[in-house]
Amino acid sequence: MTIAFKPDETFRGDYTYRNSDAAVLRFPFPFPEDRYMYSVNIEPHVRSGPSDVFLRPFDVDEHYIAECRDKAITLERDPGRCQVLPHMMLAQWDTLELLMESLSADYPALFSLVKEGDDFGSRWTWTNRPLGIEQRFIFGDPATLPCEPFEYITRQAQGDFAICDQRDNNLYMDAGMVTSQADWSLEFDVGMSFMEWHGPVPLAHQTGVFERALKYLLMLRLGQPVRRLNWTMTINPRLDTSPESFPEWGPDRASVTPDNAGRKVHLRVELQTLWRLPRSNAILFPIRCYLASLEDLARVPKWGARLHRVLSTLPPELVEYKGLTRYLPAALEWLARHDDGRELPVGTESGITTL
Amino acid sequence: MMHSDIKSRPVYQALAPDLAGSRHLLVVEGETLVAGRLDELAGLFAPVQATLHTWLAGAATPVAGLGRLWQLESAADVVDALACASRGYGVGDRLYVQGTEPFLWSVATAAAVVGFGEKQLRLHHAGSLRRRVWCTHCHGMTEGVTTSIVACGGCGRHLLVRDHFSRRLGAFMGVMVDAEAPGEVPAIEEVFA
Repeated sequence: MTIAFKPDETFRGDYTYRNSDAAVLRFPFPFPEDRYMYSVNIEPHVRSGPSDVFLRPFDVDEHYIAECRDKAITLERDPGRCQVLPHMMLAQWDTLELLMESLSADYPALFSLVKEGDDFGSRWTWTNRPLGIEQRFIFGDPATLPCEPFEYITRQAQGDFAICDQRDNNLYMDAGMVTSQADWSLEFDVGMSFMEWHGPVPLAHQTGVFERALKYLLMLRLGQPVRRLNWTMTINPRLDTSPESFPEWGPDRASVTPDNAGRKVHLRVELQTLWRLPRSNAILFPIRCYLASLEDLARVPKWGARLHRVLSTLPPELVEYKGLTRYLPAALEWLARHDDGRELPVGTESGITTL
Repeated sequence: MMHSDIKSRPVYQALAPDLAGSRHLLVVEGETLVAGRLDELAGLFAPVQATLHTWLAGAATPVAGLGRLWQLESAADVVDALACASRGYGVGDRLYVQGTEPFLWSVATAAAVVGFGEKQLRLHHAGSLRRRVWCTHCHGMTEGVTTSIVACGGCGRHLLVRDHFSRRLGAFMGVMVDAEAPGEVPAIEEVFA
């Protein structure tokens, strides 16, 4: 398997981010039915599923190099996007080990990890070929890395990462690397309990979704990660839609017209996985973000039509919460041209093999 | 405005001594005392008076029955006093706080630093509903906010004051209200008097 990286594409400014045909076809489309509502949609994170993004535990795609660069730009501007509370050092090493082992095993042409031993104190050599990094260090000794282990490894991975400490039958968000988030603030949320950081989500609390999800996650077992998809919409292919930078990207929402919606409006899908960590007993929570424009999605006839139906029946509370209010009518007008009203099969598969 | 659908909004309790505790510290923000409230507290805490310390912050006329009494000027003095306590605090200590929300969380966050666990702490809201607001954009704090929208003391942006609350910061989230359409600021209402 070779990945044709697009090292120069951008997620800000001139927004040159584009999906190849292959990237469109493997997009993790999140809607199996014509209507959407919150549910405890958690399933085992096995190496299979309706999209190729599920084939490996940590998916690396054509946007890898450009995303890592965009993350570095965001961190340069706002170092507070990476925060780790002091008691989380063990979980930092757990995260580094999990990512290095997974990436090197699944993408041997891109990454390698040579270990002289598995325990703290062993000498490790990490090679990241796409980013041109070779690092020798001592596992367990932060002084042998250029920065703390969690920041070190998550700078070299696509998507956001949070670590949840488990105590008092609750989960606390006690660490995070958050540069491609759907409008939530790590600085505000760090240290919060599970219910607190989900506080603003509408409708789902009342149906008990979070109580059930928390119970499930507290029982999460080592070696048995789970996953779910979440989604929202973003104007332009922008990764950094943080509340911190809202003054920069907020005006984009007012720029959408029925004519430009196909290019401007993007479906933003998060592949969220949850991993029990071996030494710290914390839970690693990677949030991997995929972006596809309405134009991309409408090239798959089933997806264009289904997205039109999901968005036109979305409860008003969710329209408001996801920030769609201002441009949803324009997006629906654009999508309506791609929905002929025929019955669509249940499931998220594209149903086609070429575009 | 004390109840919200947003689950990070704290729920406060009435104060009563926890008899499982061995030492009790009651901290009261003076401006939140209505007539007779201190006598009422003295009555409530009578069972633990022998091991009770009371700190009164700001203007207040002391009454008898509050254990060892100490008068301080402000929330900042309470925070300093907690931080400097040379004897330290242990599992037998209980902390009870009455005050406005910014006062409660100034004390609660300082108490957490010196070792008070969640179960050793009881917070009782009284007095004004004014809020401390944290700006999502410049991370500055604006104190004493009583309106639905406030100009940030740090960056000047008009912030919509949300119910989303951070215990660590002791503050409500403020988000630029006219980010999507600069200049379109809705009517500002007095809501946290």
